[in-house]
Amino acid sequence: MSLLPNAAVLLGKELRTEFRSRELLTTTVVFILIVLVLFSFTFTPTSDESRRFGPGLLWLAFLFAASLMLQPCFLREQQNDTLSALRLSVSDPFAIFLAKLAANTLFLLLTELLLLPFFALMYNVPVVPVLHWIIMVLFLGSLGISIVGTALSAISAQARMRELLLPLLMLPLLTPVLAASMEVTKGLFDRAPFVQWKGVGFLAVFDLVFLTALWLFGEYLLEE
Amino acid sequence: MGKNIVAAVCVFVLLGAAAYASFFIAPTDAKQGLIYRILFLHVASAWTGLTAFFICFVANLLYVWRRQPRWDWLGVSGGEVGLAFTTVVLVTGPIWAHPVWGIWWTWDARLTSTFVLWLLYASYLLLRTLIEEPDRRALLSALFGIFAFLDVPLVFGSIRWWRTQHPQPVVMGGPGSGLDPTMYKVLFFSWFAMLALMTLLLRQRYRLEAMRGEFETAQQEMETA
Amino acid sequence: MKNLDSVFAAYMAAWAIFFVYYVTIARRAAALRQDIERLKNSVTRGK
Repeated sequence: MSLLPNAAVLLGKELRTEFRSRELLTTTVVFILIVLVLFSFTFTPTSDESRRFGPGLLWLAFLFAASLMLQPCFLREQQNDTLSALRLSVSDPFAIFLAKLAANTLFLLLTELLLLPFFALMYNVPVVPVLHWIIMVLFLGSLGISIVGTALSAISAQARMRELLLPLLMLPLLTPVLAASMEVTKGLFDRAPFVQWKGVGFLAVFDLVFLTALWLFGEYLLEE
Repeated sequence: MGKNIVAAVCVFVLLGAAAYASFFIAPTDAKQGLIYRILFLHVASAWTGLTAFFICFVANLLYVWRRQPRWDWLGVSGGEVGLAFTTVVLVTGPIWAHPVWGIWWTWDARLTSTFVLWLLYASYLLLRTLIEEPDRRALLSALFGIFAFLDVPLVFGSIRWWRTQHPQPVVMGGPGSGLDPTMYKVLFFSWFAMLALMTLLLRQRYRLEAMRGEFETAQQEMETA
Repeated sequence: MKNLDSVFAAYMAAWAIFFVYYVTIARRAAALRQDIERLKNSVTRGK
């Protein structure tokens, strides 16, 4: 099965392209920092209040950042006219999606991990004792955001007003991810931290459903 | 033309009968009194909206598979009609909530989920206006429509599990409150009447879209000639 | 009967929404028919 090796090669290309300039990562990190500062204006960031509002605001910030970060995903290919070349280079178009969503998940995860210490400091929330669980929920949530975002980026790249369209399409679709990720994170930030396995399971199901949908319908998204 | 009028009259009669049943056949509710009767309108609209969205979903799948324009026509009709019914749910919700709870909007599970549902299909329709080429528009909106419908159970599930932890007013009464068997019968009859209205609206919208499709094809042929 | 006006308002709002929606379909259909007429005329004029 040439799907995985093809995807791996394309993933390498995506990573190399980004790490050469690092513009996507840096702009996204700065954007989330700005959002975190702005959020501090909306409530009094005492430790208790931060534990209540923090998770929701954190995931909201990630969602907004993702809806901006995922814009160039397919737009870049369209502008440079590389999409047809890409399609010819692989036998299964799903490889293209697999590579892009893996790259996007990685970039999102990287930005989130970079921002976590800032969030912990600014909002007085202890993150270190539950770090491995937080990484797990960050991964599952970011995976869901990337799968949906990558698919919708392919759609918005072919429409007008794409800068506004991608968030418009993404955000309603991703409300389940926001709800579940927020709840799991809230449990982890609690004074007596616990893992809400119902939420974790739900995120896994969400990721599976949309990954399957992308696998079934992806090739039509890339049709000429 | 004659068939249209007969169909419309039948639908009006059904809707009138459902309204009559809601007021005079359904028994009085001990807790909420008269106001609960909005339920027959509110819940029946919600179920009908979801039915229309399901029709949209099936049409979307058929379009992606078969690429025949009529599935695209049915898809957009289902989406738009479903949005109309969902709007009714969102409007009757606050009208119900205000006398009972004194507030216009409650972020209860059903209303919140319905709001997200409304936004999903509003986005679906908006997407269609932003793609000019008819085949492209049909394909991309069908794909988004499929994703949107797959999301519906996830939206309802996640909101019910995690947005109803705090005690809050629930528009339709909590999980404990069941419905009288007569109430169920009236509710199902209301739903049936709403489905008839949905079919009428679907047919009109489909005809409009079919006409537009043929117009666009004729325009294209003229331009290439 | 208390709240009768609310129930009434709900029913009126619902029917208004359906009626307005039906009217927008009819309006769009009429506009489209005009466009089709225009197209037909330009075709016959061209011939």
